[in-house]
Formats: sequence, C-alpha cells, structure tokens
Amino acid sequence: MFHALVSIKQVPDTTNIRIDPETNNLIRQGVPTILNPYDAHAVAAAVEWKRKLNGKVTIITMGPPAAITSLRECIEMGADRAILISDRAFAGADTWATSYVLTEVIQAVHKEDPLDLIFFGKQAIDGDTAQVGPGVAVRLDLPVVTYAVKIHEVNTAEKFVVIERKTESRNEVIKAKLPAVMTCEKEIADIPYASLPDLVYSLRYEPEVWTTEGPITFDPAQLGLKGSPTTVFRTGTPEKHKAGEVLKTAETGVDVAVKTAFDKILEVEGVASMLGVQR
Amino acid sequence: MSTKEKLTFDVIVVGAGLAGSAAAAIAARNGLSVAMIERGQTPGSKNYFGGALYTHSLLEIYPDLWDRKPPLERPVTESGFWFLSKDGMVRATVQGGKMQNDPIDAYVALRAKFDAWWAEQAKKEGVFIIPKTVVVDFIREDEKVVGVITDRPDGEIYAPVVIICEGVNNLLTQKLGLAKHDLKAHASALAVKQLISMPAETINARFGLPSNEHGLAASVMGDVSMGLPGLGFLYTGVDSVSVGVGVTLEALTKAGIKPYELLQRYLNHPMIAPMIAGGRLMEYGAHIIPEGGWTTMPKLYTDGALVAGDAASMVNALHWEGTNMAIMAGKAAGETAVEAHQKRDFSAKSLSAYRARLDKTFVMTDLHQYRNLSHFLKSRPDFMNTYPAFLNDALGMFFSGFGKPKKQLYKDILRSLTDRRPLVKAAGDMIAFGRTIMGF
Ligand SMILES: Cc1cc2nc3c(=O)[nH]c(=O)nc-3n(C[C@H](O)[C@H](O)[C@H](O)COP(=O)(O)OP(=O)(O)OC[C@H]3O[C@@H](n4cnc5c(N)ncnc54)[C@H](O)[C@@H]3O)c2cc1C
Repeated sequence: MFHALVSIKQVPDTTNIRIDPETNNLIRQGVPTILNPYDAHAVAAAVEWKRKLNGKVTIITMGPPAAITSLRECIEMGADRAILISDRAFAGADTWATSYVLTEVIQAVHKEDPLDLIFFGKQAIDGDTAQVGPGVAVRLDLPVVTYAVKIHEVNTAEKFVVIERKTESRNEVIKAKLPAVMTCEKEIADIPYASLPDLVYSLRYEPEVWTTEGPITFDPAQLGLKGSPTTVFRTGTPEKHKAGEVLKTAETGVDVAVKTAFDKILEVEGVASMLGVQR
Repeated sequence: MSTKEKLTFDVIVVGAGLAGSAAAAIAARNGLSVAMIERGQTPGSKNYFGGALYTHSLLEIYPDLWDRKPPLERPVTESGFWFLSKDGMVRATVQGGKMQNDPIDAYVALRAKFDAWWAEQAKKEGVFIIPKTVVVDFIREDEKVVGVITDRPDGEIYAPVVIICEGVNNLLTQKLGLAKHDLKAHASALAVKQLISMPAETINARFGLPSNEHGLAASVMGDVSMGLPGLGFLYTGVDSVSVGVGVTLEALTKAGIKPYELLQRYLNHPMIAPMIAGGRLMEYGAHIIPEGGWTTMPKLYTDGALVAGDAASMVNALHWEGTNMAIMAGKAAGETAVEAHQKRDFSAKSLSAYRARLDKTFVMTDLHQYRNLSHFLKSRPDFMNTYPAFLNDALGMFFSGFGKPKKQLYKDILRSLTDRRPLVKAAGDMIAFGRTIMGF
C-alpha cells in the first residue's frame, strides 16, 4: 500500500505581517497563522496520489499546540493521520535541530508502516530557508528532489517515482528510488475543496501528540536551542530598489534615450557576456 | 472516513457575526446541539463596522463578561456630535458625568478581533463552528425548513430550527420569502471607512484623552456628507483611529459621487486632516448599513426558521445601534429555539414567540419609534448642510464679535440663518425632527 508522509509548518500569514520600523522585529501580535502555503500544496499532492493508489497519508508537524488547526486543515484535505510533535524542549530549534526531530519521528512512523514518499513544501514563508526538507533527506540517507512541480509516476511495485522539478533555466524530469523525499512548489497540485462531511470530520479530529515523554525518545542534547548551531544576529528589511532614471524623449530625443537604456542593461553583471557584446 | 450518515443538529445558525454567536451560545447553554456555519476563513474575517459595542448587550449574554477578557479597544469616555462647515467645526461632546458610569456604556472595538473572540465564547458553550462554508439554500419538507444546503459537496445539514444571522446582504431571508425584495437603495447606506494606525500617545495628545483607558466616539454631521443624507464617524482605538462616512445608496447614485471620493474629501477636511496626519492606513473597507429599520423589516419567522440582526434590518442609524440589536435579537431567537425544542413544535406559530419576546425590548420599540427617520432625512436636506453651517457661523460670530454693538451681532447671526432658510421653515424643520424621533 502507498504510504505518504507530509511534514508541515504553521506560519504567520506574512501577507498580514508588519515590521516594527524601529526595532525591525516582526509584529506577531494579532497576525493570523496559516498552514504554510507550499505545504498545503504538498498535502494536496500527497492526497491526490493516495486516492490514485488507494493508500494513506500521514501528516507531522513540530510546533506549538495551536498548530492543531493546521493539522486539521490537512485532515480536511483528505489526510488520514496527523501527529503534533510538541514540547517546550523543542523550542528555539534551528533547521538543524528541527530536521533531527522530524527524522526521528519519520523513522518511527516508517517502522510502523513503511513510507514511500516524504513531502515538504519548498520552504516556509516565515523563514525562507528551504533547508529542513533536504536536511531530513540527508539524515535519512534518501534521495531528495527539490522544487518539484509535478509527479509523473509513482510505482510502488518497482519502487520508483518520476518527478519534474523546476530550476531557474529549465525543468528537469527525475527518476528516483523509493522511498524518496521531495520539496514542493505550488504547481504540484491544486488545493481540493472538501465535502461537508469531510470538513466536519476534520473539525472533530484530535491529532496524536508526541512529546519528549513518548512514544519515542529523543537525544536531549540535539533538541531546541541547545541542539541548534546557528544563531541569527540580526534581521532587517532589505533596502528598497531605488527609483530608476526617467528620460523624456521630448527632451533627449529617442536615440539618446534608447542608447542610455541599453547601456544600463549592459551594466548588469553577466548580461554583456550573455549577449556577446563588447563593452 | 467520508461517512454518509446524515449531519443532524438541534439548531443551525447561519453566520458567526454578533447575532449568530449570541443565538448559538444561548441555545447551546440550554443543552441543544448547535452548528454555526460561517462563510469566512474564521468568524470576523469578513466583518466590518465603525464602531462601538454596547456593554449592556454583551453582559446580557455573558454576565461574567470581564472575567472573559474581551478584546475591546478603548472605553468611550467622550461622545457626541461634530458639526462640520466647509472650513470649520463645532464640537458638542460630553465627557465625565454619565460617560463615567460603571461599567462604561460603550467600547470601541475592531470586528476581526472581537468577532473571533465572540465566536470562541460560543464554542466554549458547546457550539460546533463550521467555517469556510457558505449556506446557499434550505432543505424543505412540506414547506417547512428542516435544514440548510451549503456550497460544499454533500453539503446538506439538518436541524428542525434554522436561525438566519446572515447580515445585511440577506439573500437567504429573501429566498424564504420573508424579505419581499432586495435591499432598497433609499434605505441602505453605503459606509466606507479607513482604519489608520497611530501611536497611542499621539492619539491621546491629539484627541485630549488622558490615557489609553479613555476614548472618543464622534458622530459627524454637515460637510462630511456633501449635503447628502448621511453621517460621518470617528472612533479612537488603542493605537488606531477609525474614520468613515455613510450615505444612502440612492443619494450617492443620484449625485454621481464615488464613495471613496466622499471619504477622501472628509479625510482632507481642514479640521480632520491634522487629527490623522502621519497615520498609516491599515485597512480600507466598505459595508452596507440597513437603515430602513422598521420600514424594511422582513417577517421574522416561518416554519422552522428565524431571522435576526442586520438580515432583519435591525439598525437605528441615528444612534449607531446595530450590534446591540443584533445581539438582543440573537438572544431572543436562541431562547425561542430552546422553547420550541421543549415543546417539540417548530411551526411558525410556535416560533412567533420570538417576535413576542422582541416586542418587549427596545429593539422593536425603538425601530418603530424611528420608522420615519430615513424618509425624514431624505426629505429635509437642510439638516445635512444648512444647520451645521449655520451653527458654525453663529458660534463663530459670537466669539469673534468683539468691539461690535451686540444688537447688530445678534441681527447678523439671525440673518445668517434666515439667508439660508426662512424662520418659519426652520421652525417647521425642528418640529418635524422632534416628531420624527418621537415617532409621531
Ligand atoms: C461602517 C459601519 C459602522 C457601524 N458602526 C456601528 C456602531 O458603532 N455601533 C453599532 O452598534 N453598530 C454599528 N454598525 C452596525 C453593525 O455593524 C451591524 O448592525 C451588526 O454588525 C449586525 O450584526 P449581524 O450579526 O446581524 O451581522 P454581521 O455582523 O454582518 O454578521 C453576518 C455574518 O454572516 C456571515 N454570512 C453571511 N451570509 C452567509 C452565508 N450564506 N453562509 C454563511 N455565513 C454567512 C457573514 O460572513 C458574517 O460573519 C455599523 C455598520 C457599519 C457598516
């Protein structure tokens, strides 16, 4: 039977986020939290394939108790089981410590019920690191396909998957051995609109809660702040782009305006060599 | 997991606004199973108002209100009218005295925060909230309402009583034939509002508020509505100011004025602009107010269904009372549903107890008393421009007429009225106004 796991995160809705202009801190107060949008599409893809292959989808998240709302949303989309990994000891974890905890949990789930595909969103919109998915893949020693836009085929009998991924210049179609890890773009699948009974079921669903007390054990040294080698010194808003120069053709004439614009483009690093133009 | 069992509750409430969460809470508190269906992502996410909430109505549902820590902004410790002329303003506001009642009678609030909390209280009573779902129609058996149909696949849900708290855009109320027609342009005000954020200290300084525990609610008349039947408002939150203006749809259309132009003009008024200068625009929104009140009120009950709040036109536009009417009506509807379950009778006759309950409250008596108000304001535009301007002139002359013979001053003041409106007409206006608000 096909078994997929999706690892999700509840994040502040950054479209609603404000930054304190003096301290540069995020004002989180009153900002609604949502299921990380890329994760939502990853769940949609997992559910789509579970329906095709008559399988099962398990959702996990490490986060505060309030993340139950996002887990319920995954159940609403059609996932079968949800696990909240929540404990004070996990607080302050960076991507390294987070991937440790997730790896332990994924291995435990895998032992109970072997996994074929492990999904992540391509990144969380609050941190934008895109490190957790690949980090887990490395710890599990599994193949990882990042920036996935389409699953062409899942073959559980012959144990392989064919995934299309996006790069800056082109798309690549990759065949990987199962089990595999993938991180997803939004194109991977459309969010389904749940039926009323499914929605009602999800609103009543109580996720399992895993803590440091069980059902599995973690190495305390690798948890939370203690297990996190990275520290963030400073965050800030990037400088705004300066307004461009405006040339009025009535004043400069068309030739000068075009030439000035063209020269500016050539000044951009790499453009001249790409176009084969001598400067 | 998609079990095909019929979803059944004792009561369905449509809409998690002020009326809905009140009705649902009362029904659930009395042991009924209640589903409250809301189209927004969360309760409150779609809702918008001025505005102030009235303490009496909140206490009516939750006597232990203060222990529950409601997310209110500032108490209203100063309240009144601001009369705008083109370039001036007369303020008639009251503070101290009854504005210091314990508890204070009105609180400024922001709906997104408040409605979420209001629904959370209902959830604590046992209400099952179904968000992100739109009710589109009713399930009927022998002409009786026995449930609702939502926009989701397999979207039927059953209950012997449905309480419709869908707000001003009352499509479902119309679908049941309780409301005979769509919103009427002359009886619906389009209100536009900006929420402007400013540091609390700036608000305190600019509005003369001694601390964050003091707040202002102003109804603004005169130049704010460009002479059209309408009112402006300004409310102070903790670190935000709500400023807006509402004018009837009919007048807006006739005058060919776009609502945001009206608001922009108000915000640029020389008396208003400095109050909000440097603030940051947080939200811009528009919402309809069903100002028709009594005259546009639908029938309030039928077999298996009740209507409460804006959906039933329960707004007193002059006093900005809508939330408290919605809550009181929600309560009465909830109680009626409980009683109907005890009697196991969900017929229109049984549910008419709702109307009888409401008739005993200020909701019905006030709406009846003010029934001619929207017609009055439409037919006497002088209240929107002439009198506010005269008031500014009169006080302006009085307080600048130094070193002038006072006899002449009073003559001038009187002339500034009679130039605008003959005395007899003015007297007639005042009497008519008195009759209108007294409900004769
Ligand atoms: C600009 C402005 C200022 C105001 N100022 C004040 C003030 O200061 N004081 C005051 O007391 N009143 C004020 N009012 C009036 C007050 O806001 C309303 O009277 C009050 O909100 C009515 O409450 P309600 O519960 O009936 O409707 P609403 O609060 O509108 O709630 C209706 C709910 O139903 C949901 N819904 C609608 N249709 C469906 C459907 N088909 N399926 C599922 N859900 C649905 C909506 O999403 C919404 O949550 C103001 C109004 C405006 C527009």
